[in-house]
Amino acid sequence: MIQRNLLMRSFLALCALGLSTLPARAWQESGGDEKKDEGADAKKKDEPERWFVVKNAEVHTGTGLVLRDAMVLAKNGKIEEIGHELDVPPDAKVLDAQGLRVYPGLVAISSAGLLGFSTSDFGDTLNPFNSNMILGLATGITTTGTGGAAVKLKRFSIKDAVVREKIYALFSYSSRNPSGRRTLREKFVSTAAWLREFREWEELVKKDKELKEPAKKNVDTSVLAVLKGEQVAKFNANDRDDLFAIARLAQEFGFRPVIEGCREGWTVADELGRAGASAILTPRDRRPKDELLSREGGSSIENAAILHRSGVAIAVVPGTESVDLGGIVGRDIMHLPIEADFAVRGGLPEEAALASITSVPARLMGIQHRVGTLEIGKDCDLIVTDGDLLHYETFVQWAVVDGKVVYDKQKELYFAHIRPRADAPVERKLDKGETEPKPEGDAPKEGEEEKPKDGEKPKDGEDKQGGDDEKKGGDGEKKGG
Amino acid sequence: MIEARSMRWARWAAPLLLGALGAFAPACASGRHGTPRPGDDNDLSPLRAGETGSAILCGKIVTADEDDRVISRGMILVRNGRIAYVGPRAAVPQGYELLDCGDQWATPGMVDLHSHVHSGGFGDVNDMVLPANPDLRSSPAVRPGNSLIQVACAGGVTTLFGIPGSGTTHSGFGLVYKTKLNSPFEECVVRNPGGMKVAQSYNPERRAGDFGATRAGLSWILEDMNDKAVGATRQGRRAIELENLQKVHAGELPVLIHSAGSDGWTAAARMWQNTYGTRCVLSHGCFDAHLTAPWIAETGARVNAGPRTMDHVSTRDGAITGTAERYLAAGVQSVSLNTDAPVMPQEELFLQGTMSARLGADSYLMLKAVTIEPARQFGLDERLGSLEVGKDADIVLRTGEPLDPRARVERVIIDGKLEYDRLRDGQWF
Amino acid sequence: MMLANLFFMLIGASGPTGATGDTRAATPSLLAIRVGKAETIAKGTLENAVILVEGGKIVAIGEDLPIERGIPILDRPAWVVMPGLVHAYSRLGCDSEGGEDMSPEVRAFAEVYPKAEEFEKVVEYGVTTLGLYPAGNGIPGQACAIRPLGATREEMLLADGCYLKIIVRATASSKKLLKDGFKKADEYAEKEKKAREKFDKDQKGAKKPEEKKEEKKEEPKSAEAPPSFSVPQDEPPAAAQDSKPDEKKDEKKPDGYVPPEPEAKVKPFVDMRAGKLRALVSIGSAAEYLHFLDALGKETISWDLRVPIQRESDLFYVIDKATYELEVDGIGEKKCRVVLEPVLSVVPGTMRNRNLPAELSRAGAKLVFVPRNDTLPDVKVWLMNVAELVANGLDRATALRAVTLEPASLLGVEARVGSLEKGKDANLLFYSGDPLEATSKLEAVMLDGRIVHGEVNP
Repeated sequence: MIQRNLLMRSFLALCALGLSTLPARAWQESGGDEKKDEGADAKKKDEPERWFVVKNAEVHTGTGLVLRDAMVLAKNGKIEEIGHELDVPPDAKVLDAQGLRVYPGLVAISSAGLLGFSTSDFGDTLNPFNSNMILGLATGITTTGTGGAAVKLKRFSIKDAVVREKIYALFSYSSRNPSGRRTLREKFVSTAAWLREFREWEELVKKDKELKEPAKKNVDTSVLAVLKGEQVAKFNANDRDDLFAIARLAQEFGFRPVIEGCREGWTVADELGRAGASAILTPRDRRPKDELLSREGGSSIENAAILHRSGVAIAVVPGTESVDLGGIVGRDIMHLPIEADFAVRGGLPEEAALASITSVPARLMGIQHRVGTLEIGKDCDLIVTDGDLLHYETFVQWAVVDGKVVYDKQKELYFAHIRPRADAPVERKLDKGETEPKPEGDAPKEGEEEKPKDGEKPKDGEDKQGGDDEKKGGDGEKKGG
Repeated sequence: MIEARSMRWARWAAPLLLGALGAFAPACASGRHGTPRPGDDNDLSPLRAGETGSAILCGKIVTADEDDRVISRGMILVRNGRIAYVGPRAAVPQGYELLDCGDQWATPGMVDLHSHVHSGGFGDVNDMVLPANPDLRSSPAVRPGNSLIQVACAGGVTTLFGIPGSGTTHSGFGLVYKTKLNSPFEECVVRNPGGMKVAQSYNPERRAGDFGATRAGLSWILEDMNDKAVGATRQGRRAIELENLQKVHAGELPVLIHSAGSDGWTAAARMWQNTYGTRCVLSHGCFDAHLTAPWIAETGARVNAGPRTMDHVSTRDGAITGTAERYLAAGVQSVSLNTDAPVMPQEELFLQGTMSARLGADSYLMLKAVTIEPARQFGLDERLGSLEVGKDADIVLRTGEPLDPRARVERVIIDGKLEYDRLRDGQWF
Repeated sequence: MMLANLFFMLIGASGPTGATGDTRAATPSLLAIRVGKAETIAKGTLENAVILVEGGKIVAIGEDLPIERGIPILDRPAWVVMPGLVHAYSRLGCDSEGGEDMSPEVRAFAEVYPKAEEFEKVVEYGVTTLGLYPAGNGIPGQACAIRPLGATREEMLLADGCYLKIIVRATASSKKLLKDGFKKADEYAEKEKKAREKFDKDQKGAKKPEEKKEEKKEEPKSAEAPPSFSVPQDEPPAAAQDSKPDEKKDEKKPDGYVPPEPEAKVKPFVDMRAGKLRALVSIGSAAEYLHFLDALGKETISWDLRVPIQRESDLFYVIDKATYELEVDGIGEKKCRVVLEPVLSVVPGTMRNRNLPAELSRAGAKLVFVPRNDTLPDVKVWLMNVAELVANGLDRATALRAVTLEPASLLGVEARVGSLEKGKDANLLFYSGDPLEATSKLEAVMLDGRIVHGEVNP
């Protein structure tokens, strides 16, 4: 790691500020529109200000910028500043991340079960208390694509969790269904033609007000939404021929396809790159090539790397999209970063692997103005980890969504016993008359057995943890054998 | 006449020969030249005519030997398929082919004691002729060099115990073989029969009929067969169908016992470790078996955990528990890991170590759990499991830390031969 | 004293216990009860309590009160008296299945059948007031409060329209149902506003003497027939004039304005807005609490909660606002009533106990217990289940209140039942000891001043 001095740090902070003043792209959003107007001063006066800051952290913004001993300051859930020696209001909630790293909250391009049982109408069906959501946050995921929508793992709240709905226009364009393929192509042709005429008419009608709008014949609404950039065209394809055809279709009609699966993408990487395609893939996907065909094919661990080199954006999804606590470890949504590691194994650069679970999924779903990287103006969705996010021993210590701590490893049952943190207390805002922060944890209430404090053994006599000092397992001492 | 001439030749040649032998004798006694043997010291002597060897230069060597040596900027000399030298870089002796692996890490080839990929897939894995068929063998089902074995090799897994499935109690005998890619079957075999496979519970149950309705029935079938074998040995009787089983009871062959749950785990330990005193390895140990870890540690049983290495239910406190960590914490001296391939892909054996380390076990111990420990458990450690002089040259070279999924395997050497080379063969995993 | 003995011998001789017909006649209409302890609920525990019952009401209650000579005395120094239990959320004795989702106008009272077996049994187990709600999903209708014994339905009725049951689930359709109800109420409010404006306009016009004739025409106009929502009716149909006297009698405002009658399915929503009807909202989880508040939006109706407690209930997340920094008030802050079973739950994923009712109560919610299941065997052991919660940290006074006065308030009949206070109905339970002890026996039940269960021989 390169050492930077104070001057460099300040310079970089200024750069970050400068970059962040670029206007965010306007996208159609469903719900949560109130937050857009937060810049309005009038509203600011009414709303109480809620400040949050993470300090002393190595901040990986996801834009290529890494700041050491830095702070991320958020107001009302949006990132206000990232830098050093920031002015923090006295009543801010403070998270001391000494010795730890901060990354953008992970964006899972696709998952199942993290938001509850439903697969639609998330505004009305979200279960923000379900245990899968806690496990998703423990993995570092703060936003997930699911059922055609992008939803935050906004624990404890059902308000404004849906970031975007009806993101995708799903198409099928496969050689296995030639007539369907032909029909879709015809739809593209006729819709594109109409759109061209319509644009021309829009120009001409300015001069000749009597001119009639071109008739909307054979115009497919999904295709039109794609051509206008309102929806994302998504295909599910794995075979080389299908991928090739999709790439050609995309180039012909000028849209950027998102292709889920993309198993044999490595065989037509250039074509896909030219088409501006993005791939949602699983690095550990295993399928031998079709033995009847002489050309190369089948799955490859190098798929992501090869596609990336040709300019295809990569989003990673694990083999099992839901939480799997059955006993076999490492293949489900809780191991999203591990899946990204396998893309690195295949040659994908580490920055791209990180992007494949943060900024790329955000961009694919059209929500990059809100999440995916840590930049001023974006949502304060971040994770604090005890090391390199892509290292297999790294755990998420805290997860923050909209500037609120929604997961604390030591406070949940799942991983508190694994390499427990010597706690840096979360400072609370002081009430009038208080001189010290309130102690962590609740005193046991009547009728409730005492919950074990961080790192403590459970009190009921059974030795479940095997002794606190044994937790580290020996640090390389000779054991066993 | 020929006799006389040869005698005359011998008369003056003999002292010369004896003298020459005398000069070489100390060298031969210490194994200084020729194929290295276990127990030999590091040997930097040049190759002789007719010998093959390579010198591997690399960034780090994790030997997994008794002293847990890790050598930076090291060198391994492979001679006639065995390791002749493991240590810091030195001048490469004459005759050795140079294999410069730059910054790569060298580790021993990995060993999986619970594998079903020898037949190439899920078919041919399980055979159930009789409820107990200790004379069944898995070797006839082997398809050498099948695609699963190929990718396993590319993943750094060099030795497998290919076993029958768990449809029967005495499941039969498996073979220990290496994942060589272009060698005939005979050259891949390490030991055949390599060991016995037993399924104590959690699969063979049939709730009626030939296995009995409960585990009591299963257990009886096992004991009955065992007692027959032990009895035949005591009486000096020859029983062909029991021969291999007798070897197990004599300690000549190990036995791998598929079992799980606290009930099945302790039953297996009681039967095979305590009652019959075999060289046994308890395999799987999932679900709530880890709750019995302290007692297992006391019996001295060996544990081979996997493919499930996590439990969330049994501790009833919501914790996500890594079972390998639990066994180690309870004092189990010997813990190894498996994939039960193809339940988990064979080439992901290392990932079992990775995930167990994630869930709290010491990462170095988890590397040993897929190399020297399984070898030791099965009495193969004279030949495999660590990078030590005299052992088979089964070496894996990676671009980084062996348990890190980001580190790809660059080369796999088995018995000194470069079986897999990523640049030459393509990246299979 | 002798008179009292004679009286009680008469009771003992008059037939099998629990037979309402026989003992009803036997209990004197003026009776003094002297017991070791009385749990008044309203004013704590009285020692050496004396309760005077006359004409079915409690006319006096206190410690060591002197009893006038001549008044028969029921003297039991070892016994404990408490108010009759109020089971406010039940379908005992009812068997209908429920109809469409939006049926707020349906009343459970319509199902009550005096001779239902359950009612007699329920009294035996100490329940003297029963709240019955209609069956069905969505918004099934309104509950009533009854006394379990009576010759006719009307005799049993204590109050109707006690609360409107609303089921809220975390689904778009369920939330929409609730919002639709209020939307309809909005439409009615618009309609009512227009009618009011029209009336006012007409009133102004009527002040001019020339238009007195018109006034006569106008007044009937304001007493419109109930408008339908599909077609706004401005002209009064001829029939309206016939109904005019009735309506004027019911809803006559000082200036003669009679608001239009809302549709049957809309009226409950209008009433809720006007504060005339409470809602009992049934939810299943912490998430559904949030979704309910979301569906409710800005409505300021009065509501209470019904949450069936399961072992791994996650309701603890929404007990108060501060612990998990919710964006809305927790149940405690709302200070609403929570209808739930006396059951211990566990911290999810573990075997560690937690006493949710106690936590809710400490946070400010008002507990209303119901038996663990709405069946007779569970009613029988209801108090024992409650006792288990007291043993695990629930405040005793809160626990006793949760089966008496609080459910009575939920039903809106707290002025009549639920506590031992002067002026309230004489619904008493006579226990041989502490009602929350398993060794105590329910010796007798008094309903409206009459012993309806148990032998009270000295």
